[in-house]
Amino acid sequence: MNPRLSLVGIDKTYGSTQVLHGVSLTVQPGEVHGLLGENGAGKSTLLNVLFGITRPDSGSIAIDGGSVTINGPRDANAAGIAMIHQELQQVPELTVAQNIYLGAALRRVGGILVDRRAQETEARRLLAPLDPGIDVTAPVRTLRVAQRQIVEIAKALRANARIIAMDEPTSSLTPNEFERLVEVVAKLSAQGVSVIYVSHKMDEVFRLCTQATILRDGRLVAQVPIPATPVRQVIELMVGRELATARHTGFATSREVLKVAGLSRGKAVRDASFTLHAGEVLGIAGLVGAGRTELLRLIAGVDRADRGSVEVDGQAAAPGPRARIKAGLGLVPEERKRDGIIRHRPITTNVGLPAMRKFSKLGLIRNRALKTRAEELMAEVGLRPLDVTRSIGSFSGGNQQKAIIGRWLAADTRIFLFDEPTRGIDVGAKAEIYDLIERLAREGRAVIVVSSEMPEVIRVSDRVLVMREGWISATLGPGEITEANIARHAIPAS
Amino acid sequence: MSEPTPSPLLSRIRFREAGTLLGLILIGVVFASQSPTFLTTPNLINILQQSSINACIALGMTLVIISGGIDLSVGPVAALSAVLGAAMLVAGVPVPLAILGALAVGVACGFVNGALITWGGLQPFIVTLGGLSLYRALALIYTGGTPIFGLPDEFRALTNGTVLGIPNPVIAVGVLAALAWVVLNKTPLGEYFMAVGGNPEAARIAGVPVTLTKFAAYMISGFMAAVAAMILIGRLGAAEPTLGTLWELDAIAAAAIGGASLMGGRGSIIGTLIGAIILGTLRNGLTLMNVQAFYQLLATGIIIIVAMLIDKATSSKQG
Repeated sequence: MNPRLSLVGIDKTYGSTQVLHGVSLTVQPGEVHGLLGENGAGKSTLLNVLFGITRPDSGSIAIDGGSVTINGPRDANAAGIAMIHQELQQVPELTVAQNIYLGAALRRVGGILVDRRAQETEARRLLAPLDPGIDVTAPVRTLRVAQRQIVEIAKALRANARIIAMDEPTSSLTPNEFERLVEVVAKLSAQGVSVIYVSHKMDEVFRLCTQATILRDGRLVAQVPIPATPVRQVIELMVGRELATARHTGFATSREVLKVAGLSRGKAVRDASFTLHAGEVLGIAGLVGAGRTELLRLIAGVDRADRGSVEVDGQAAAPGPRARIKAGLGLVPEERKRDGIIRHRPITTNVGLPAMRKFSKLGLIRNRALKTRAEELMAEVGLRPLDVTRSIGSFSGGNQQKAIIGRWLAADTRIFLFDEPTRGIDVGAKAEIYDLIERLAREGRAVIVVSSEMPEVIRVSDRVLVMREGWISATLGPGEITEANIARHAIPAS
Repeated sequence: MSEPTPSPLLSRIRFREAGTLLGLILIGVVFASQSPTFLTTPNLINILQQSSINACIALGMTLVIISGGIDLSVGPVAALSAVLGAAMLVAGVPVPLAILGALAVGVACGFVNGALITWGGLQPFIVTLGGLSLYRALALIYTGGTPIFGLPDEFRALTNGTVLGIPNPVIAVGVLAALAWVVLNKTPLGEYFMAVGGNPEAARIAGVPVTLTKFAAYMISGFMAAVAAMILIGRLGAAEPTLGTLWELDAIAAAAIGGASLMGGRGSIIGTLIGAIILGTLRNGLTLMNVQAFYQLLATGIIIIVAMLIDKATSSKQG
């Protein structure tokens, strides 16, 4: 029997980085197939290839033994492939039935009018085996996330999908809702629909899947049967790469500069407490959604905490970014474009923004002093080309990051908060950013680095906090910082 | 200091301003060839005089637009300042005090706009659209719909006087423009306007006092509207509660022609001034050529759209 889906030798290169190296994936009819790997392992790219969002450089796709070419989501749908995205792609104001028939409306009167009644009848029929409790005339926005997922699945069945890919479907589900999803997936499987299930959560994968394909650094590591393969072995296959080569040098002192106590915000950050010392680099590891970015934003005063305190040098820091900056904290955000840079403004003012008062006299900006200081700092951080009058938007990601680091140097920031410092930065600039982080520590500043890349965390950190579902699940000291240890505490265990 | 190599950004702004100026010169050349009276000193001064009110409003509007907002309420704010100021003048309040009072009314309206936008979390378009009706209604209710006459000569002398042949309103707006230029280009507040308009979230994270910056923009805009109101009632000798109708659109047009981006983050005081003068020149020249008012309107519309098309075409090439 031919496999339902087979991807063979998929290669994909973005710019100079190859993100998929000859990856293959084989899924049988009715099989629930786990797709596993760390962030950046290539799972999303592979799904995008399958769904026609990304064109592979080489490789082939076959469905039920017949070769297919997929140039876009429409081709994918026609070939019987559907995707349940993490961010559901629905129109919130339209009804359940309208969403199920979005782009393929049932018509009457010679195709002029939409036959709403027929759509609703059909939608009800599709939903009956999945969740008969869903009102097909209700706007989708009134549904809970779990129900909206069911609606997406019904939509996939409406399009006669034979392969449904689910990208981290449980990231916002409660345990009960997960049980419901398990039932639905079982029904799909019984109908002969193949499911590709992408998740970080080992317990879920072991509940649902019978096979798993493991990717690491864009390569196929193994395809293993589940649950015959032990969890431990699966995790090792996911993370077990050669350790980062560059050695870590520590400059940590015993002088405490930051104390976070009981910091909480909703379910994102729960009761976070830790301390940070001058010259120390503290890594924060964990999965996407574990609350790392949220914790950093609370410390930086960008978001308001429900509870808890932040003390700098033993003094409680007032809320709000301005007060926190004054206290000596500075956030280098992950989304540089959205949260970091003022695109049209030159490097000078982007660097001087938090310290405008320092660069002013009698209410006027001393442009020459600002330019001199900016040039000095940009030479230190290695801005290329070294032209501080150019708009920051015209620089590469790595250089923008250097400018943001320079911004906090100009503001005499003593505690640097990095969120994914090397996201979207090419390999060469990465090493420079690591060197800069090390330099900050050597100068006696304290640094927190949130990162999803394990080698990065291991390379820069003196100590590592691991976060899981909003909690700090472990603190790893020197000698304990290994990929296996981090993964063990980061991944919700079965 | 040696002249630094021109940066792409600086040259882009200068390029844009030079383009606007070129447009003005072009329009001037056309009118000069069609009408012998166009290029005379009295007429040129007349153009500046006629442009001064719109320029005044547009200066405040430019700062608001750069900070990522819009102020549709400027006309009614001017009307409210005008009638309250006029009432004080007629009641015998000393002229400087009455003027200060009228300016305070404008600033207060700006404060209300700013409060609704920042603390209230409403969109600037909606807030100032509401203000557009609200302030007009207050002016109408206060006056019962009738103009206030009998402004003292002492006050009217201020707006009708000249210095070295240049009308006082032109000088006043010139001084305000210079101040606005300094604020935008030389002070932290100006940098904050551009940062907040360019990327409000990044600005907040970088420690920019975003709320304060927005308040400043709308209060300056209210102040400018009140100044424009004083110029107008001084010239007319009366304060009508209906004055200032459609001023907001002229001001937005001047700012846009001058290079302000309605998306925020970008704009130029010099560009706005030239933009206001372009609109004034157009009206003056077309009147001299005896073109009907309907066609004047047509020409204004075409100029705005052509200016934006040229802007779009050149800015995409400039990057």
